[in-house]
Amino acid sequence: MKSSARLWAVAVAGAALGVLGYRSMTRDLESPWWQAVPSVAVAWTFLVAGVIAHWRRPASRLGTLMQLVAFALLLRKFEYSGSSALFTLGFAFGAVFVAAFGHAVLAYPSGHLHDRLERTVAVVAYAFALVVPIAILLVYDPRLSCLFDCSSPTRVRPESLLLVHGDENLVSILRDVVAVGLYGVLGAVFVVLIVRRLLEATPRARRMRGPLLLAGAAAGLRAISESVFSVVSRSTFEGLLLFSIEEIVQAAVPIVLLVGLLRERLARAGVADLLRELEETPPDEVAAAIGRVLGDPSLEVAFWMPARRAYADGAGRDFPLPEDDRARAVTKLEHDGAPIAALVHDPSLLEEPKLIEAVGAAARLALENARLHAELQAQLVKVRESRTRLVTAGDEERRRIERDLHDGAQQRLVALALELRLAQRELGGATNPAVERVLTTAVDTLQLAVNELRELAHGVHPAILTQAGIAAALEDLARRTPLAVTIAEAPADRLPADIEATAYFLVCEALANAVKHANASEVTISVVREAGMLVISVVDDGRGGANSDGQGLRGLADRIEARGGRLWVESPPGAGTRVVGEVPCAS
Amino acid sequence: MRVVIADDSPLLREGVAKVLTGAGFDVVAQAVDGDDLLLKVRSYKPDVAIVDIRMPPTHTDEGARAAEQIRAEHPDIGVLILSQVIEATYALRLFSERPQGFGYLLKDRVLDLDGFVGAVRRVANGGTAVDPEVVAQLLGRRRPNDPVSELTERELAVLSLMAEGRSNQGIGHALFLSPKTVETHVHRIFRKLDLDLAPDDHRRVLAVLAYLNRG
Repeated sequence: MKSSARLWAVAVAGAALGVLGYRSMTRDLESPWWQAVPSVAVAWTFLVAGVIAHWRRPASRLGTLMQLVAFALLLRKFEYSGSSALFTLGFAFGAVFVAAFGHAVLAYPSGHLHDRLERTVAVVAYAFALVVPIAILLVYDPRLSCLFDCSSPTRVRPESLLLVHGDENLVSILRDVVAVGLYGVLGAVFVVLIVRRLLEATPRARRMRGPLLLAGAAAGLRAISESVFSVVSRSTFEGLLLFSIEEIVQAAVPIVLLVGLLRERLARAGVADLLRELEETPPDEVAAAIGRVLGDPSLEVAFWMPARRAYADGAGRDFPLPEDDRARAVTKLEHDGAPIAALVHDPSLLEEPKLIEAVGAAARLALENARLHAELQAQLVKVRESRTRLVTAGDEERRRIERDLHDGAQQRLVALALELRLAQRELGGATNPAVERVLTTAVDTLQLAVNELRELAHGVHPAILTQAGIAAALEDLARRTPLAVTIAEAPADRLPADIEATAYFLVCEALANAVKHANASEVTISVVREAGMLVISVVDDGRGGANSDGQGLRGLADRIEARGGRLWVESPPGAGTRVVGEVPCAS
Repeated sequence: MRVVIADDSPLLREGVAKVLTGAGFDVVAQAVDGDDLLLKVRSYKPDVAIVDIRMPPTHTDEGARAAEQIRAEHPDIGVLILSQVIEATYALRLFSERPQGFGYLLKDRVLDLDGFVGAVRRVANGGTAVDPEVVAQLLGRRRPNDPVSELTERELAVLSLMAEGRSNQGIGHALFLSPKTVETHVHRIFRKLDLDLAPDDHRRVLAVLAYLNRG
C-alpha cells in the first residue's frame, strides 16, 4: 500500500508538472499547441510506463529509471519559463533526461548495466548532465547572453538564481561543451554501446531487445545531429523535422520498454497452456514445447540419470552440461532436492527467472516422465550394445574354435596317422600280418576322427567363409544341401567378417528349415547390397506355416537385430516360406 | 625329383618328407610360412612345392597366395596345395587359370602313400591333381534331367578319375582296366554328356570340371 501511495504521488506530481510545462511552452516560449502537446505527451508516456513498470515489477529498477526520465523531461520544459525559479530548476535538472534515457535503454530488462564500461559511461553522462548546466547558471546573465528564442522581442527573459558573475563568452563556450560533449561524444558512445550489445546478443536476446536497442540507437543519432547543428545552421523545416523524429523516437522507447516488461507476464500466461499441452506431448518433444513457451527454439533439455550420476539427452546419450557463458546458460530443475533435469538455454532467459521457474514447475511431471523415458532409452542402448558384443564375441569364438580344430587337433591327428602309416610300411606288410592289421585299423580310425573333426569344425564356422568369402561359402552350402538350390545373387567381393557370418548363418538356418520342416524341393538364395544394407533372402516352395517364434528363427532374428538389422519371415500355409534379413553394411 | 615342403607343423613336414624321400624324391628344403617358402623356392628351384594352405601369420590363405606367386614367377615349378578342408568352388577358382602342374588335395590324402606320391609326381611332371572330394561335391549337386545320372557305375568311376586329373593309363591302373577299355569308356562318357573330346589331359580335366559345375 505504501508503494502504491508513492506511485499515486508520482503520478499526481507528474501531471501537475506536465500542466506547468505546457504553460511554459505555450505562454513563455509561444510554442504552438501542436508542438507543446506531443512534447508533454512523451514525458507523460514515460511517466505512465514507469508507474506501470514499477507496479508490475517492483523488483526491477527500470520503473524508477523511467520515472526519472519523465521528471527530467518535464523539468526541461521549465527552461522556457519566464519565471526565474522555474527556469533555474528546469535548466539545472532538464539535461539529466539524456543520461537517464540512455541508462534506461541499456539497463533493460534487469535494471542493471552489463559491465564496467557501461557503468563508467553512465556516471560520466550523469555528471556531465548535472555539472555543465549548473556551471552555465553560475555565469548566465540574461542582459549579456541569450539562451532560447533570442529573436523574440516580447520575450520575458528569466534570470539565473545561481548567478555569480555574468560572462557572455563562458556561457557560449559551455553551451558548445554541452552540444559537443553531451550530445555528440556521449551520443556516439551510446550508439557504439548499443551496436556492441547487438553484436554480442544471443539470438533470443536480439529478438527480445532488438526493437528497444534500435529505438535507442535512433535517439542516439538524433543527439549527435543536435551536436552537428550547433555548428552548422539549420532551416526551420529541418528543425521541425528533427523535432518530430525526436518526439516519435522518445515516445516509442517507453512503450517498447513497457511492452518488454509485460511480455514476461504474457509468457507466464502461456505456462497454463504449456501445462495442458504437455499432457499430450510425447517425451521427445517436451524440450520443443518448453522452448516455444520461453521463446527460445534453441532450448535443450538434459535429463538427470541417477544411476550414472550424469546428465543425458532424450535418447540416453551422455549430455555434458555447458559452462554458463555468453552463448549458453543452464537452469537446473529439482524436485524435493533431487535433480530432475537441466534446461540449457539462451542466457537472456536468466533475466526472466520467474518465467523459468513457472515453466519448470509446470513441466515437472512431463520432464520427470521424459527423464524416465530417457533412462529407459539409455538402458536400451546399453542392452543393444551388449547384445552386439555378445554376438560378435560368439562369432569370434566360433572362428577361433574352428581354427584350433584345424590347426591343432586335426593337424596332429593327421601327423600321427602318417607316422603310423610309415611304421606300418616298415614293420607290417606280408611279413607281419598282425601288425599290419592293427596299424591299418589305427590309421583308418584316425582318418575317421579327422573327418568327424572336419565336419564339426565346418558346422562351427566353415573355413571357406574366412578363406573365400560369402559367395563361395554359399555355393558350398548349396552343394551340401539335398535340395535344388539356386543362388540368384551373391557379392563376389569380401565383406566384413561379422556381416559375412551373419548372412551365412541366416541362409544356413533357413536351408535347414526348408529341408527339415518345409518339405521343399527348390530354394532360391539371394544376397544383395542395397542402399547401405545387405539384404539376404531365402525363398522355398515348401508347405509354409513356419513358426517365426520357433527356436531357430527366433535365434536368427536375435542375431540379425544384434547387428542393427531386421528379419522378416513370411510363411503362409501351403505357399512356401520366405525369410528375408537385412543388416547395415557400408559398401 | 626335387621337392620343397611348406607347413607350419614340423611333425607333418617331417612325415611328408619321409614319405617322399622313401619314394625316391629329393627333399631339398622345408619352409614354415609363405615368405620362407618363396625364398626357398627361388634359391632351390625345385620341381614341385608342397604347400599347406593355412600358415602363419593369419592362418587363412597364405599358402594359396604364395602358390599363386610361385606359379607366376616360375611356371615350370609344380605346386601342390594341401588343405584341411576342400571346397569345390574355391578349387575351381584355383584351377581355372592353368591346371598344368597344379594340385589341390585334402591333407589326409598323404595317408594313402602311393596315391599321394603319384599325385606329387603328376604335378611335378606338369600334370593335375584334383581332390576326389571336389569331384564328389560337384557330382553331389542335384539337377533335374541330369545326363550324369545316365552313366553306368563304371563310367562314373572313370569320370571321377578323369576329373581328378588322371591319364587313361592312370585310370586303367586304378580300376584294373586295360588302357583300351578305359578309352572306350571315355568316348562313351563324352558322347552321353555331349562333350567334345579334349586333345590333352589338362583340357580334359577342365572340360569335365566345367561340365560338372555348370549352372
